[in-house]
Amino acid sequence: MATTDEIEDLIARSALGDRAAFSRLYDRTSAKLFGIILRVLKDRASAEDALQDAFMKIWRHASRYSANGASPMTWMITIARNTAIDHLRRKRETVDADDAADRLVSSAPNPEQSAVAAGEARRITACLDELEQDRGAAVRGAYLEGRSYADLAESFGVPLNTMRTWLRRSLQRLQECMAR
Amino acid sequence: MTTGPDDIPQDDSLLAAEYVLRLLDPVEDAAFRARLATEPALAAEMTAWTTRLSGLDADVAEVAPRPAVKTGLERRLFGQPQRLPFWRRVGLWQAVSLASVALAAFLALQSLQPPQPVAPTPLFVSEIAAEDQSLRLLAVYDAQAAELRLTRTAGSAAEGRVLQLWAIAGDAAPVSLGVLPETGTTAVILPEALRAGLADLVLAISDEPAGGSPTGAPTGAVLAVGQVSAL
Repeated sequence: MATTDEIEDLIARSALGDRAAFSRLYDRTSAKLFGIILRVLKDRASAEDALQDAFMKIWRHASRYSANGASPMTWMITIARNTAIDHLRRKRETVDADDAADRLVSSAPNPEQSAVAAGEARRITACLDELEQDRGAAVRGAYLEGRSYADLAESFGVPLNTMRTWLRRSLQRLQECMAR
Repeated sequence: MTTGPDDIPQDDSLLAAEYVLRLLDPVEDAAFRARLATEPALAAEMTAWTTRLSGLDADVAEVAPRPAVKTGLERRLFGQPQRLPFWRRVGLWQAVSLASVALAAFLALQSLQPPQPVAPTPLFVSEIAAEDQSLRLLAVYDAQAAELRLTRTAGSAAEGRVLQLWAIAGDAAPVSLGVLPETGTTAVILPEALRAGLADLVLAISDEPAGGSPTGAPTGAVLAVGQVSAL
Protein backbone atom coordinates (compact mmCIF):
# COMPACT_ATOMS: atom_id res chain seq x y z
CA MET A 1 0.00 0.00 0.00
CA ALA A 2 1.39 3.36 -1.00
CA THR A 3 1.87 6.14 1.50
CA THR A 4 -0.41 9.14 1.74
CA ASP A 5 2.38 11.47 0.63
CA GLU A 6 3.16 9.35 -2.40
CA ILE A 7 -0.48 9.27 -3.51
CA GLU A 8 -0.82 12.98 -2.90
CA ASP A 9 2.25 13.59 -5.05
CA LEU A 10 0.95 11.34 -7.84
CA ILE A 11 -2.41 13.13 -7.84
CA ALA A 12 -0.66 16.50 -8.00
CA ARG A 13 1.43 15.36 -10.97
CA SER A 14 -1.61 13.89 -12.69
CA ALA A 15 -3.24 17.31 -12.34
CA LEU A 16 -0.38 18.65 -14.47
CA GLY A 17 -1.06 16.06 -17.16
CA ASP A 18 1.73 13.64 -16.20
CA ARG A 19 0.54 10.34 -17.66
CA ALA A 20 3.35 8.29 -16.13
CA ALA A 21 2.38 9.57 -12.68
CA PHE A 22 -1.26 8.73 -13.40
CA SER A 23 -0.24 5.24 -14.48
CA ARG A 24 1.58 4.76 -11.17
CA LEU A 25 -1.38 6.18 -9.29
CA TYR A 26 -3.54 3.55 -10.95
CA ASP A 27 -1.11 0.77 -10.09
CA ARG A 28 -1.00 1.81 -6.43
CA THR A 29 -4.70 2.33 -5.88
CA SER A 30 -6.79 0.40 -8.42
CA ALA A 31 -7.06 -2.80 -6.35
CA LYS A 32 -8.56 -0.90 -3.41
CA LEU A 33 -10.90 1.09 -5.62
CA PHE A 34 -11.95 -2.03 -7.51
CA GLY A 35 -12.74 -3.74 -4.19
CA ILE A 36 -14.89 -0.74 -3.17
CA ILE A 37 -16.74 -0.75 -6.50
CA LEU A 38 -17.28 -4.52 -6.46
CA ARG A 39 -19.02 -4.25 -3.08
CA VAL A 40 -21.57 -1.95 -4.68
CA LEU A 41 -21.93 -3.48 -8.12
CA LYS A 42 -21.23 -7.21 -7.48
CA ASP A 43 -21.00 -7.86 -11.21
CA ARG A 44 -17.40 -7.84 -12.43
CA ALA A 45 -18.01 -6.48 -15.92
CA SER A 46 -20.01 -3.48 -14.64
CA ALA A 47 -17.41 -2.98 -11.93
CA GLU A 48 -14.61 -2.83 -14.50
CA ASP A 49 -16.58 -0.26 -16.44
CA ALA A 50 -17.18 1.82 -13.32
CA LEU A 51 -13.51 1.57 -12.35
CA GLN A 52 -12.52 3.09 -15.69
CA ASP A 53 -15.11 5.83 -15.26
CA ALA A 54 -13.83 6.56 -11.76
CA PHE A 55 -10.23 6.88 -12.93
CA MET A 56 -11.30 9.12 -15.79
CA LYS A 57 -12.88 11.43 -13.23
CA ILE A 58 -9.80 11.24 -11.04
CA TRP A 59 -7.65 12.26 -14.02
CA ARG A 60 -9.96 15.12 -14.99
CA HIS A 61 -10.53 16.40 -11.49
CA ALA A 62 -7.06 15.84 -10.06
CA SER A 63 -6.48 19.58 -9.81
CA ARG A 64 -9.42 19.89 -7.44
CA TYR A 65 -8.08 17.39 -4.97
CA SER A 66 -5.94 19.71 -2.87
CA ALA A 67 -8.87 21.96 -2.09
CA ASN A 68 -11.11 19.41 -0.48
CA GLY A 69 -9.95 18.50 3.02
CA ALA A 70 -10.27 14.71 2.81
CA SER A 71 -7.22 12.43 2.65
CA PRO A 72 -6.11 11.49 -0.88
CA MET A 73 -7.24 7.89 -0.54
CA THR A 74 -10.60 8.99 0.87
CA TRP A 75 -10.99 11.40 -2.02
CA MET A 76 -10.36 8.65 -4.56
CA ILE A 77 -12.55 6.13 -2.75
CA THR A 78 -15.38 8.67 -2.58
CA ILE A 79 -15.20 9.14 -6.34
CA ALA A 80 -15.10 5.36 -6.88
CA ARG A 81 -18.01 4.73 -4.53
CA ASN A 82 -20.17 7.46 -6.02
CA THR A 83 -19.38 6.33 -9.55
CA ALA A 84 -20.39 2.78 -8.64
CA ILE A 85 -23.63 4.04 -7.09
CA ASP A 86 -24.30 6.12 -10.22
CA HIS A 87 -23.90 2.95 -12.28
CA LEU A 88 -26.16 1.02 -9.91
CA ARG A 89 -28.93 3.62 -10.08
CA ARG A 90 -28.47 4.73 -13.67
CA LYS A 91 -31.63 3.00 -14.80
CA ARG A 92 -33.75 4.84 -12.31
CA GLU A 93 -32.30 8.33 -12.19
CA THR A 94 -30.52 10.57 -14.58
CA VAL A 95 -27.10 11.46 -13.34
CA ASP A 96 -24.62 14.05 -14.34
CA ALA A 97 -21.58 12.37 -15.87
CA ASP A 98 -19.19 14.05 -13.50
CA ASP A 99 -21.51 13.91 -10.55
CA ALA A 100 -19.31 11.70 -8.43
CA ALA A 101 -16.33 14.02 -8.52
CA ASP A 102 -18.48 17.07 -7.87
CA ARG A 103 -19.97 15.66 -4.73
CA LEU A 104 -16.87 16.51 -2.75
CA VAL A 105 -17.00 20.26 -2.92
CA SER A 106 -13.90 22.34 -2.80
CA SER A 107 -14.81 24.47 0.17
CA ALA A 108 -12.13 25.72 2.46
CA PRO A 109 -11.78 22.70 4.72
CA ASN A 110 -11.74 23.05 8.43
CA PRO A 111 -8.42 21.33 9.26
CA GLU A 112 -9.22 20.85 12.91
CA GLN A 113 -12.51 19.19 12.10
CA SER A 114 -10.82 16.97 9.50
CA ALA A 115 -8.16 15.86 11.94
CA VAL A 116 -10.74 15.08 14.60
CA ALA A 117 -12.81 13.12 12.11
CA ALA A 118 -9.74 11.16 10.98
CA GLY A 119 -9.09 10.15 14.59
CA GLU A 120 -12.73 9.18 15.00
CA ALA A 121 -12.76 7.10 11.83
CA ARG A 122 -10.69 4.42 13.52
CA ARG A 123 -13.46 3.93 16.05
CA ILE A 124 -16.27 3.40 13.60
CA THR A 125 -16.24 -0.40 13.71
CA ALA A 126 -16.41 -0.51 17.50
CA CYS A 127 -19.15 2.12 17.52
CA LEU A 128 -21.20 0.29 14.90
CA ASP A 129 -20.99 -2.79 17.08
CA GLU A 130 -22.57 -0.82 19.94
CA LEU A 131 -25.72 -0.33 17.86
CA GLU A 132 -28.35 -3.04 17.64
CA GLN A 133 -27.25 -5.54 15.04
CA ASP A 134 -29.85 -4.52 12.43
CA ARG A 135 -29.02 -0.84 12.76
CA GLY A 136 -25.31 -1.37 12.29
CA ALA A 137 -25.99 -3.56 9.27
CA ALA A 138 -28.17 -0.84 7.73
CA VAL A 139 -25.39 1.76 8.03
CA ARG A 140 -22.90 -0.66 6.53
CA GLY A 141 -25.33 -1.53 3.73
CA ALA A 142 -25.80 2.12 2.86
CA TYR A 143 -22.09 2.91 2.91
CA LEU A 144 -20.52 -0.24 1.52
CA GLU A 145 -23.19 -1.36 -0.91
CA GLY A 146 -24.80 1.96 -1.84
CA ARG A 147 -28.23 0.79 -0.67
CA SER A 148 -31.07 3.30 -0.68
CA TYR A 149 -33.72 3.86 1.99
CA ALA A 150 -36.28 2.03 -0.16
CA ASP A 151 -33.93 -0.89 -0.60
CA LEU A 152 -33.06 -1.04 3.11
CA ALA A 153 -36.71 -0.70 4.15
CA GLU A 154 -37.58 -3.65 1.97
CA SER A 155 -34.91 -5.94 3.27
CA PHE A 156 -35.54 -5.04 6.91
CA GLY A 157 -39.29 -5.30 6.38
CA VAL A 158 -40.16 -1.85 7.73
CA PRO A 159 -41.89 1.18 6.15
CA LEU A 160 -39.59 3.64 4.43
CA ASN A 161 -40.15 6.42 6.96
CA THR A 162 -39.37 4.07 9.82
CA MET A 163 -36.18 3.09 8.06
CA ARG A 164 -35.18 6.71 7.74
CA THR A 165 -35.91 7.42 11.40
CA TRP A 166 -33.91 4.35 12.42
CA LEU A 167 -30.96 5.19 10.30
CA ARG A 168 -30.79 8.84 11.30
CA ARG A 169 -30.93 7.85 14.95
CA SER A 170 -28.18 5.31 14.33
CA LEU A 171 -26.02 7.93 12.66
CA GLN A 172 -26.52 10.27 15.57
CA ARG A 173 -25.53 7.60 18.09
CA LEU A 174 -22.62 6.66 15.90
CA GLN A 175 -21.40 10.22 15.88
CA GLU A 176 -21.71 10.52 19.65
CA CYS A 177 -19.87 7.26 20.18
CA MET A 178 -17.08 8.19 17.79
CA ALA A 179 -16.61 11.58 19.46
CA ARG A 180 -16.15 10.02 22.90
CA MET B 1 -15.60 19.31 18.40
CA THR B 2 -17.92 17.33 16.07
CA THR B 3 -21.33 18.86 16.52
CA GLY B 4 -21.64 21.19 19.43
CA PRO B 5 -25.00 22.96 19.44
CA ASP B 6 -23.34 26.26 18.54
CA ASP B 7 -21.49 24.65 15.62
CA ILE B 8 -24.03 23.21 13.26
CA PRO B 9 -27.62 22.08 13.91
CA GLN B 10 -27.89 18.37 14.56
CA ASP B 11 -30.38 18.06 11.75
CA ASP B 12 -27.92 19.54 9.27
CA SER B 13 -25.22 17.20 10.45
CA LEU B 14 -27.47 14.22 9.80
CA LEU B 15 -28.40 15.63 6.42
CA ALA B 16 -24.69 15.82 5.62
CA ALA B 17 -24.30 12.17 6.63
CA GLU B 18 -27.25 11.17 4.46
CA TYR B 19 -25.76 13.11 1.58
CA VAL B 20 -22.44 11.29 1.92
CA LEU B 21 -24.29 7.96 2.10
CA ARG B 22 -26.33 8.86 -1.03
CA LEU B 23 -29.56 8.37 0.92
CA LEU B 24 -31.26 11.64 -0.01
CA ASP B 25 -33.88 11.62 -2.73
CA PRO B 26 -32.92 13.59 -5.86
CA VAL B 27 -34.73 16.76 -4.77
CA GLU B 28 -33.24 16.80 -1.25
CA ASP B 29 -29.88 15.91 -2.71
CA ALA B 30 -29.90 18.85 -5.12
CA ALA B 31 -31.10 21.22 -2.39
CA PHE B 32 -28.36 20.08 -0.03
CA ARG B 33 -25.77 20.43 -2.71
CA ALA B 34 -26.84 23.98 -3.47
CA ARG B 35 -26.36 24.84 0.21
CA LEU B 36 -22.84 23.37 0.22
CA ALA B 37 -21.65 26.07 -2.14
CA THR B 38 -22.63 28.86 0.22
CA GLU B 39 -22.34 27.32 3.67
CA PRO B 40 -18.73 26.48 4.55
CA ALA B 41 -19.68 25.00 7.94
CA LEU B 42 -22.04 22.59 6.24
CA ALA B 43 -19.40 21.66 3.65
CA ALA B 44 -16.88 21.04 6.42
CA GLU B 45 -19.40 18.82 8.21
CA MET B 46 -19.96 16.91 4.97
CA THR B 47 -16.21 16.35 4.62
CA ALA B 48 -16.05 15.32 8.30
CA TRP B 49 -18.72 12.67 7.68
CA THR B 50 -16.85 11.49 4.60
CA THR B 51 -13.79 11.00 6.77
CA ARG B 52 -15.69 9.41 9.68
CA LEU B 53 -17.31 6.83 7.44
CA SER B 54 -14.06 6.19 5.60
CA GLY B 55 -13.08 4.07 8.60
CA LEU B 56 -15.25 1.38 7.00
CA ASP B 57 -13.07 1.32 3.88
CA ALA B 58 -10.57 -0.78 5.81
CA ASP B 59 -13.14 -3.61 5.78
CA VAL B 60 -13.07 -3.79 2.00
CA ALA B 61 -10.64 -6.30 0.53
CA GLU B 62 -8.45 -5.24 -2.36
CA VAL B 63 -9.23 -6.97 -5.65
CA ALA B 64 -6.80 -6.52 -8.53
CA PRO B 65 -8.61 -5.66 -11.76
CA ARG B 66 -7.59 -7.45 -14.99
CA PRO B 67 -4.69 -5.76 -16.82
CA ALA B 68 -7.02 -5.13 -19.79
CA VAL B 69 -8.97 -2.66 -17.64
CA LYS B 70 -5.96 -0.36 -17.43
CA THR B 71 -5.23 -0.67 -21.15
CA GLY B 72 -8.86 0.17 -21.85
CA LEU B 73 -8.76 3.14 -19.48
CA GLU B 74 -5.68 4.57 -21.19
CA ARG B 75 -7.28 4.08 -24.57
CA ARG B 76 -10.41 5.89 -23.40
CA LEU B 77 -8.39 8.74 -21.91
CA PHE B 78 -5.48 9.12 -24.28
CA GLY B 79 -6.73 7.57 -27.50
CA GLN B 80 -4.29 4.89 -28.50
CA PRO B 81 -3.08 1.93 -26.51
CA GLN B 82 0.17 2.78 -24.76
CA ARG B 83 1.77 -0.54 -25.55
CA LEU B 84 1.61 -0.32 -29.34
CA PRO B 85 2.22 3.22 -30.45
CA PHE B 86 0.89 3.77 -33.93
CA TRP B 87 4.11 5.25 -35.25
CA ARG B 88 6.29 2.43 -34.11
CA ARG B 89 4.09 -0.18 -35.66
CA VAL B 90 3.89 1.53 -39.02
CA GLY B 91 7.63 2.18 -39.06
CA LEU B 92 9.56 5.36 -39.48
CA TRP B 93 9.46 5.70 -43.24
CA GLN B 94 5.72 5.33 -43.33
CA ALA B 95 5.51 7.87 -40.54
CA VAL B 96 7.54 10.24 -42.65
CA SER B 97 5.34 9.63 -45.67
CA LEU B 98 2.21 10.02 -43.55
CA ALA B 99 3.55 13.27 -42.18
CA SER B 100 4.22 14.50 -45.69
CA VAL B 101 0.71 13.58 -46.77
CA ALA B 102 -0.61 15.43 -43.75
CA LEU B 103 1.56 18.43 -44.52
CA ALA B 104 0.49 18.42 -48.16
CA ALA B 105 -3.16 18.24 -47.15
CA PHE B 106 -2.63 21.09 -44.72
CA LEU B 107 -0.83 23.27 -47.25
CA ALA B 108 -3.46 22.56 -49.90
CA LEU B 109 -6.12 23.70 -47.50
CA GLN B 110 -4.14 26.82 -46.56
CA SER B 111 -3.58 27.87 -50.18
CA LEU B 112 -7.20 27.30 -51.10
CA GLN B 113 -8.71 29.34 -48.30
CA PRO B 114 -6.18 31.96 -47.32
CA PRO B 115 -8.34 34.86 -46.10
CA GLN B 116 -10.45 33.52 -43.27
CA PRO B 117 -8.97 31.68 -40.31
CA VAL B 118 -9.59 28.04 -41.00
CA ALA B 119 -10.45 25.50 -38.39
CA PRO B 120 -8.03 22.71 -39.28
CA THR B 121 -9.80 19.79 -40.91
CA PRO B 122 -8.97 16.66 -39.01
CA LEU B 123 -6.90 14.21 -40.96
CA PHE B 124 -8.44 10.76 -41.01
CA VAL B 125 -6.15 7.78 -41.06
CA SER B 126 -6.44 4.10 -40.48
CA GLU B 127 -4.03 1.27 -40.16
CA ILE B 128 -5.68 -1.85 -41.53
CA ALA B 129 -3.65 -4.67 -40.14
CA ALA B 130 -3.80 -8.39 -39.52
CA GLU B 131 -3.34 -9.44 -35.93
CA ASP B 132 0.01 -11.03 -36.77
CA GLN B 133 0.99 -8.11 -39.03
CA SER B 134 1.14 -10.44 -42.05
CA LEU B 135 -1.01 -7.95 -43.96
CA ARG B 136 -0.89 -4.24 -43.31
CA LEU B 137 -2.16 -1.17 -45.12
CA LEU B 138 -2.09 2.47 -44.27
CA ALA B 139 -5.16 4.48 -45.31
CA VAL B 140 -5.31 8.26 -45.39
CA TYR B 141 -8.48 10.07 -46.29
CA ASP B 142 -8.22 12.99 -48.69
CA ALA B 143 -11.27 15.11 -47.90
CA GLN B 144 -10.91 17.25 -51.00
CA ALA B 145 -11.02 14.32 -53.40
CA ALA B 146 -13.25 12.26 -51.06
CA GLU B 147 -10.92 9.37 -51.57
CA LEU B 148 -9.00 6.97 -49.42
CA ARG B 149 -5.34 6.62 -50.36
CA LEU B 150 -4.06 3.21 -49.49
CA THR B 151 -0.46 2.11 -49.14
CA ARG B 152 0.28 -1.53 -48.57
CA THR B 153 3.25 -2.05 -46.30
CA ALA B 154 3.06 -5.79 -45.80
CA GLY B 155 1.35 -8.87 -47.20
CA SER B 156 -0.33 -9.94 -50.41
CA ALA B 157 -3.24 -12.04 -51.62
CA ALA B 158 -2.94 -15.81 -51.76
CA GLU B 159 -2.30 -17.25 -55.22
CA GLY B 160 -5.38 -17.03 -57.42
CA ARG B 161 -7.17 -14.94 -54.83
CA VAL B 162 -7.68 -11.19 -54.36
CA LEU B 163 -7.92 -8.80 -51.45
CA GLN B 164 -11.14 -6.83 -51.22
CA LEU B 165 -11.62 -3.69 -49.13
CA TRP B 166 -14.80 -3.07 -47.16
CA ALA B 167 -16.15 -0.17 -45.13
CA ILE B 168 -18.35 -0.92 -42.18
CA ALA B 169 -20.43 1.79 -40.49
CA GLY B 170 -21.76 0.70 -37.11
CA ASP B 171 -24.01 -2.34 -37.40
CA ALA B 172 -24.64 -1.82 -41.13
CA ALA B 173 -23.60 -4.42 -43.68
CA PRO B 174 -20.09 -3.98 -45.13
CA VAL B 175 -19.92 -1.85 -48.26
CA SER B 176 -17.36 -2.89 -50.87
CA LEU B 177 -14.75 -0.28 -51.73
CA GLY B 178 -13.25 -2.50 -54.40
CA VAL B 179 -10.55 -5.06 -55.03
CA LEU B 180 -7.02 -3.96 -54.16
CA PRO B 181 -4.32 -4.02 -56.85
CA GLU B 182 -1.43 -6.47 -56.39
CA THR B 183 1.06 -3.97 -55.02
CA GLY B 184 1.80 -0.41 -54.07
CA THR B 185 -0.53 2.47 -53.66
CA THR B 186 -4.10 2.93 -54.73
CA ALA B 187 -6.95 5.30 -54.12
CA VAL B 188 -10.63 4.51 -53.81
CA ILE B 189 -13.55 6.93 -53.75
CA LEU B 190 -15.48 6.79 -50.50
CA PRO B 191 -19.24 6.56 -51.25
CA GLU B 192 -21.02 9.73 -50.21
CA ALA B 193 -23.24 7.93 -47.71
CA LEU B 194 -20.16 6.94 -45.70
CA ARG B 195 -18.40 10.30 -45.59
CA ALA B 196 -20.32 11.86 -42.68
CA GLY B 197 -19.62 8.91 -40.40
CA LEU B 198 -15.99 8.64 -41.43
CA ALA B 199 -14.60 9.00 -37.93
CA ASP B 200 -16.45 5.89 -36.79
CA LEU B 201 -15.82 3.81 -39.85
CA VAL B 202 -14.13 0.43 -39.72
CA LEU B 203 -12.14 -0.73 -42.73
CA ALA B 204 -11.64 -4.42 -43.37
CA ILE B 205 -9.93 -6.58 -45.96
CA SER B 206 -11.24 -10.00 -46.89
CA ASP B 207 -9.85 -12.85 -48.93
CA GLU B 208 -12.00 -13.33 -52.07
CA PRO B 209 -11.99 -15.26 -55.34
CA ALA B 210 -10.46 -13.57 -58.42
CA GLY B 211 -12.67 -10.69 -59.52
CA GLY B 212 -13.94 -10.05 -56.02
CA SER B 213 -16.83 -11.29 -53.93
CA PRO B 214 -19.58 -12.70 -56.15
CA THR B 215 -22.29 -11.86 -53.63
CA GLY B 216 -21.61 -8.24 -52.74
CA ALA B 217 -20.77 -9.27 -49.17
CA PRO B 218 -17.50 -10.68 -47.85
CA THR B 219 -17.37 -14.40 -48.56
CA GLY B 220 -13.84 -15.27 -47.46
CA ALA B 221 -11.89 -14.79 -44.26
CA VAL B 222 -11.46 -11.26 -42.92
CA LEU B 223 -7.70 -10.86 -42.94
CA ALA B 224 -7.20 -7.36 -41.58
CA VAL B 225 -9.25 -4.73 -39.79
CA GLY B 226 -8.63 -1.08 -38.95
CA GLN B 227 -10.58 1.64 -37.20
CA VAL B 228 -10.52 5.07 -38.82
CA SER B 229 -9.36 7.76 -36.45
CA ALA B 230 -8.87 11.49 -36.66
CA LEU B 231 -5.25 12.57 -36.40
